[in-house]
Amino acid sequence: MRIVQISAIWCSSCLVMQKIWNHARDVFQEIEWCLLDLDFDSEKVSKYQVGDKIPVLIFEKNGEEISRLIGEKKEEEVLEWIKQNIGG
Amino acid sequence: MILWYNQNGDYMTYLDYSATTPVNEEVIDSYVKTCHNFIGNPNSLHRLGIEANALMNEATDQISHLLGVKSSEIIYTSGSSESNNTAIKGIAFQYQNRGKHIITTELEHSSVIAPLQYLVSLGFEVDFAPLDQEGKVDLESLKSLLRDDTILVSIGSVSSELGILQPITEIAELLKSYPKCFFHVDMTQSIGKVTIPLKDIDLVSFSAHKFYGMKGIGVLVKKESVVLQPLIHGGKSTTIWRSGTPALALIVSLSKALRLAFKNMESNQIEELNQYLREQLSQMDMVHINSPQTSIPHILNFSVPRLKPETLQHALEEKDIFISTQTACSKGGSPSTAVMALTHDESYATSSVRVSISHLTTKDEICYFVKALIEVIERLQIRG
Repeated sequence: MRIVQISAIWCSSCLVMQKIWNHARDVFQEIEWCLLDLDFDSEKVSKYQVGDKIPVLIFEKNGEEISRLIGEKKEEEVLEWIKQNIGG
Repeated sequence: MILWYNQNGDYMTYLDYSATTPVNEEVIDSYVKTCHNFIGNPNSLHRLGIEANALMNEATDQISHLLGVKSSEIIYTSGSSESNNTAIKGIAFQYQNRGKHIITTELEHSSVIAPLQYLVSLGFEVDFAPLDQEGKVDLESLKSLLRDDTILVSIGSVSSELGILQPITEIAELLKSYPKCFFHVDMTQSIGKVTIPLKDIDLVSFSAHKFYGMKGIGVLVKKESVVLQPLIHGGKSTTIWRSGTPALALIVSLSKALRLAFKNMESNQIEELNQYLREQLSQMDMVHINSPQTSIPHILNFSVPRLKPETLQHALEEKDIFISTQTACSKGGSPSTAVMALTHDESYATSSVRVSISHLTTKDEICYFVKALIEVIERLQIRG
């Protein structure tokens, strides 16, 4: 299981989300987090077909995407989304 | 009277003064004359250097006099992005033993957000000050975020997208009770437009090209008592805080631009044009005005919810009208964080455009823009 986190250094929503992501990483230590920057890692990011809106979290199981979470979200939403995907 | 012409000699209506401004002829003249007449490096010890240095000091004295600060507090940079980076990283690296907590807002320019994001990757913590219904920082909420380890509050005086004017003097007053916390204000969008006393502010950033000066020169005002880790190390230039050969002609041109900008601030023509444009836009069913009534009159942000802002921008461009979608320094097509933070409405955040006007804007231009906007919206809606 891993979460691909796509953000950008200039994106204020991404900065807002940093604290929440850090907490989620602490809570779900069994999940690998792969951090990609929209601009600096553009080649890797291109395969995920990210639209105009960032940040994006992509939940992968066995290398397959099973869900994605787009934009600024509340901490409860992020934690619940991860919990559901672990179980799903 | 329409002032600007494109390369084919056709009229154009420039309504993007907050992205950048056309350089004033007198400013260009001062730049060219300085290049011709002062060829020496201001740091050279021979006569040509001494003459160049004297001119630089004269320009710096004029700038500091206009701003109401000391000449020794002026640091020349390449522009606001460098000033913001120098202020934010410089404070963070210098005072990290004191604390690693920084406060900002969601309305800031990417040159504030990006260095903060970089600092977060190094273990710093960033909180966002809540905004009230008009997008202004809520002072009580800001107070509740301040901690013993807060080393910096960085807030832009005017948001570039919405024109929201922050209560900078009140925030500075509040921060007087927190002597370990520095106050940085990005004044890029307010210098030459709004008077804000710099007395109780530790660090102030701005750029000449926003007030009819040249691109490539900006200032960071740093209170004498504040120590920074410089971003650019080298020999002592104009100050020890930013090395590099002094850009004399740019410095002189900035001094000229600033003087002219302060002189032109007295006009209330912009207020009248903004009010007229607001009235016209509010009569259009498809348009939602995002900028609060209390925003500075130079910036008017609005949304046409069913149209992509780029489509609207390009359709107006075909009529030689130039406006902006978000700020020139954000990702095209992405929703506006600033509009979202203010309106909490995604349809507005994904369809916002900004008109920015100046003392050079005429009523004819605004009328032409309004007429063109009505035509374009009707045409695009029929097609859509």
